[in-house]
Amino acid sequence: MKYTAKPLPPVDLPELRQVGKPLRRVDALGKAVGATVYGADYSMPNMLHAKVFRSSEPSARIKRLDVSKAQALPGVVCVLTSKDAPGAKLTTDMPGQTGRAARAGSDAPVLAGEMVRFVGEPIALVAAETLAIAERALKLIEIEYEPLPGVFDPVEALEPGAPVIFEPDNVVARWKIRKGDVEAGMAAADVVVENTFRMPFVEHAYLELESGVGWVDEQGVINIRAGTQVIEHFRNIARAVGVPQNKIRVRGTLVGGGFGGKEDITVEIFLALLAKHTQRPVKLVYTREESFIAQSKRHPFIITHRTGVKRSGRITAAEIEMVADSGAYPYLSPYVLLYATIMASGPYRIDNLHVDSAVAATNQPFTSAFRGFGGPQAAVAYEQQLDEIARALDLDPLEVRRVNYIKTGERNATGQVITSAAWLEESATRALEALGEQTPDDGPVRVGQGFASYFQSYGRITWFHDTSRAWVGVEMDGTVVIRCGAPDIGAGQANSLCQIASEVLGVPLEDVTIYSTDSAVTPLAGTSTATRQLYMSGSATLQAANAVRDVLLDRASKHFEEKPENLDLADRKVFVRNAPEQSLPLKKLIAMCAAEGLPLSNLALFTAPFTDGIDPETGQGDVFPDFTFGAQAVEVAVDTETGEITLLKSVACHDVGRAINPAAVVGQIAGGSHQGLGYALTEDYVMENGVTKTPSLAEYLLPTTLDFPTTQVIVLESGSGVGPFGAKGIGEPALTPAAPAVANAVANAIGVRIHELPLTPKRVLEALGKLGSSE
Amino acid sequence: MMQPGIVTLDVNGRRHQVALNPNVTLLQALRDLGYTDVKNGCEKGDCGACAVLLDGKAVNSCLVLAWQADGAEIVTNAGLGTMDRPHLLQEAFADSGAIQCGYCTPGMIISAKALLDRNPHPTEDEIREALSGHLCRCTGYGQIVEAVQSAAEKMGGAE
Amino acid sequence: MLPEFNLLMPKTLAEALEMLIDHAPDVAPLAGGTNLIPDMRGGRHRPGVLVNVAGLDELGGVRREDGHMIVGGGVTIAELLDAPLIAQTAPVLREAAAVLASPLVRNRATVGGNLADASPAADTAPPLLVLGAEVELASKEGTRRVPLEEFFVHVRETLRQPSELLTAIRWPTPSSRSVGRFRKLALRKTDAVTVVSAAVMVEPDDAGRCGEARIALGAVAPTPLRAHAAENVLCGQALTPDVIAEAAQLVAGVTCCIDDVRGSAEYREQVVKVLVRRLLTEIAEEVK
Repeated sequence: MKYTAKPLPPVDLPELRQVGKPLRRVDALGKAVGATVYGADYSMPNMLHAKVFRSSEPSARIKRLDVSKAQALPGVVCVLTSKDAPGAKLTTDMPGQTGRAARAGSDAPVLAGEMVRFVGEPIALVAAETLAIAERALKLIEIEYEPLPGVFDPVEALEPGAPVIFEPDNVVARWKIRKGDVEAGMAAADVVVENTFRMPFVEHAYLELESGVGWVDEQGVINIRAGTQVIEHFRNIARAVGVPQNKIRVRGTLVGGGFGGKEDITVEIFLALLAKHTQRPVKLVYTREESFIAQSKRHPFIITHRTGVKRSGRITAAEIEMVADSGAYPYLSPYVLLYATIMASGPYRIDNLHVDSAVAATNQPFTSAFRGFGGPQAAVAYEQQLDEIARALDLDPLEVRRVNYIKTGERNATGQVITSAAWLEESATRALEALGEQTPDDGPVRVGQGFASYFQSYGRITWFHDTSRAWVGVEMDGTVVIRCGAPDIGAGQANSLCQIASEVLGVPLEDVTIYSTDSAVTPLAGTSTATRQLYMSGSATLQAANAVRDVLLDRASKHFEEKPENLDLADRKVFVRNAPEQSLPLKKLIAMCAAEGLPLSNLALFTAPFTDGIDPETGQGDVFPDFTFGAQAVEVAVDTETGEITLLKSVACHDVGRAINPAAVVGQIAGGSHQGLGYALTEDYVMENGVTKTPSLAEYLLPTTLDFPTTQVIVLESGSGVGPFGAKGIGEPALTPAAPAVANAVANAIGVRIHELPLTPKRVLEALGKLGSSE
Repeated sequence: MMQPGIVTLDVNGRRHQVALNPNVTLLQALRDLGYTDVKNGCEKGDCGACAVLLDGKAVNSCLVLAWQADGAEIVTNAGLGTMDRPHLLQEAFADSGAIQCGYCTPGMIISAKALLDRNPHPTEDEIREALSGHLCRCTGYGQIVEAVQSAAEKMGGAE
Repeated sequence: MLPEFNLLMPKTLAEALEMLIDHAPDVAPLAGGTNLIPDMRGGRHRPGVLVNVAGLDELGGVRREDGHMIVGGGVTIAELLDAPLIAQTAPVLREAAAVLASPLVRNRATVGGNLADASPAADTAPPLLVLGAEVELASKEGTRRVPLEEFFVHVRETLRQPSELLTAIRWPTPSSRSVGRFRKLALRKTDAVTVVSAAVMVEPDDAGRCGEARIALGAVAPTPLRAHAAENVLCGQALTPDVIAEAAQLVAGVTCCIDDVRGSAEYREQVVKVLVRRLLTEIAEEVK
């Protein structure tokens, strides 16, 4: 099948000077020369080293815990247990949130008291003069467990009689969508197609381990310097530690990868407790194994689709059931489930839709945010289901999608109107066209192509009342300062703000310095999650920079006797647009403003649209500010005798609205794709009765330079996003279509579908009937 | 009873004499000496973040005991260049979009340096092979490969 | 932190052997450390004394002598890859060296260490087995040679005594007519523990039939091992698809017991037959 790119509607994007250029990012050189100081790279005089004592049982009562020998070890300064932090909870409370869907009482204790509910649950903290002493102290802690029955599967956890992790049952959250008349829709269908898909735990595997240093300063403020995606956790840290909120200061570092795994509190409360108790600086660095067993994972999901379709491919009704695994504690599970529920049916217009979803607790590592937040899991299911529908109807997979794609102005599963460009066919055809002719089979090696369309939200749930703040000012010498709380977790969050300010104020990027991520000093900009920073902090920065620009141009208009709209700022100058020789150096203009006491800085508050929550019975209502749309197409070669899968080619096409820094956008798309390809092919997180069997990077395999060809990236710019300059968000969307594209390609290559990720060689041979345990 | 011993570590041209226990890895010793550009990603040789040049060869410093590096010449990424005077490789990384979170970068540059030292005009396959011991979770490696190609052109330009 | 140990730094092989015998049995030689150090960190190994043999001159060198190839136990995998003698006379070994772990690990890991560690998945083992290699085990009390096939006893268990060091590996230089191939299968394309591997070496006779064949398998049994029944079927036969298929089927007979997160026993048994069949087919082509 040969595909031709669908022509794009004409878009008139204004030419910009700094925005839209692949400039060297402001953080790049420091990282390149190894000057950047991450969480574990910081040390202070008189500093102690901390270790965490963790549960080795998945489900047990602690009968006896004796830390006395550890405390007595010379060089140990303190050992803390739940007695030292009674009732302290690790609450993942998102700033500005007006309601929580989690049940009260099931937040994770900071340190386990009577019960442990997963292997790796923290029980005690040790601070010692050296790391070696702290490690030795851990071995001297005596503990006796009374093992209890555990439950290790979310479907089992929902059955009556299952061991209950929190009374009354293991249901952490449920959501549903009720739209139209599914019965009638199914009756009107020519064919009904049903499939179930399974997805495992996934490890964030950021290269930088969870780490930080905590200390009490001369004002009695507990400082936490750590890699985090959320500095607003200072409020939760304060509550857990029992101090006022203005006595915690979170100094976020540049983060060595987050992907959602550093969205929840990691080391911060431990550091605060130890610093407070010892009144000395304390450093805590997780080991890689600890990071595997002790920190959050992507939710496993089991998703069943039942879809009624006409011969034309038009979907008449859909019923979707989803069960997810929250692990031992809820964390962000209710919201991950909500995202998955809303995106369960994909970027398609379905008038008759039932979705029922549940997330259940098990005695396994807790699951929480991970790039896509339920969206990727939904896509793994809906895109494979679309291909299965195509197969059942003997239609081209693109054609089936074409007759169902949602369009701008139409309503999605929750009845929210899609207001921005929905370039689904445009992106799918471009990706398929670039993929090209299929490589021929070679003996037992069968080649297949496959693609996936997707949509993914950007910006937080609108009933969370999201806000962001940024301060922009100009110095007397014309350089620009930004102060913004936004954590930079590697995607270039900080650089985007600088590029925006440099555009608006007409200075080169190197004239902009950003001070960020300090809860005491930089205006709070919210979480670096939910693909929201460019939208929210970018907009706040744009607002602040424009306010300063307005003051400058207003003053300049008097100087030039021209209307402000006839003036512009560029190259460190203000000038008359149609007579650029009439100009003034920016420094001079600033001096003029300063002399008259005009404000040369602005603190802007950007507010996302606020909506009410969705109807709990129907799931109807507006949920997100907007969505990103796109597609990925891949070609795979499957060795049908060994089961090995080789990715031959990968093309991703996304409408990013507007690329602030195209090199960064390409990096996000290629990197997100890479994670999605790993999700599909190499990353196998194996659990057995609550024990992680793959707790290392030698067992849990990330893709290397030799595993996949670089994903070819096609960037589309509709200019229709709600972010600055019409930008959408790309951080999470980049990952979403990769795994389903691979699953579809493999199914096409071997003629049979594997319903579980990852697509391992063993599963390939089983699907082909070459190993005993095949269906 | 484990006894410390005096070890001489020549790091980026600077000689350090330190008393170290035998069970201290070169990674730990370097970081404790202040070379925090050498990163700990796993301490088991699985990720490459700790790579340094040891007598010209790129190795995982987490798998070398500091005593084993006594008298050896060690180069870390920070020894190749500084903010003021970055190495061409470091500049190429910064300019090619090859750096996102930056955590894998120092190790990558070490292996890239080792590659270009023995093969100034590597093919893409050779670059990928040379970097195959380094995990990156952010970039998908494409722009990293481009950075090495770009640096090779600039560095090998004296042909 | 690694567990505590005493580390001895001998300057010569003689010193090292003295130290080994003095501190046996709670002693281990340390060369590249690429297995030993992670094992110590993970608690699998806790020797009280380590003897550093990395860089000892007497353990280096790749040379030909009296019709034999001799590789010092301390030769690194990277050195093996770079050695012209290996490329010329033992390409089957070079193929394995090229896919062992990662370039960073290869700069430190030694052949002696790879064998002495005796993982069932050790990548240098199948090629050395088909080369008919012996290992040289030296102690203060003398040196002995043990055929590699006998050297491996069980998972991570060899005939090496705590006072001994694996000082060299030797094998008779294969004839220029012999053809050897190695193939490794793992769960990603590089830097991954082998799930199934095979090395095949065929010495054709004057008529182009298989004179002698050797087949060695990795990661399918408690030790790397030869598949003698399969080899015998090939002896004196033309390498036709039928003969090859019969031999490939027979290798399943020696697979056993390795069943873990990386691969089930059933998968390994199934796929090792495919690997051997393919290697034999490639060799048959080349022999023509």
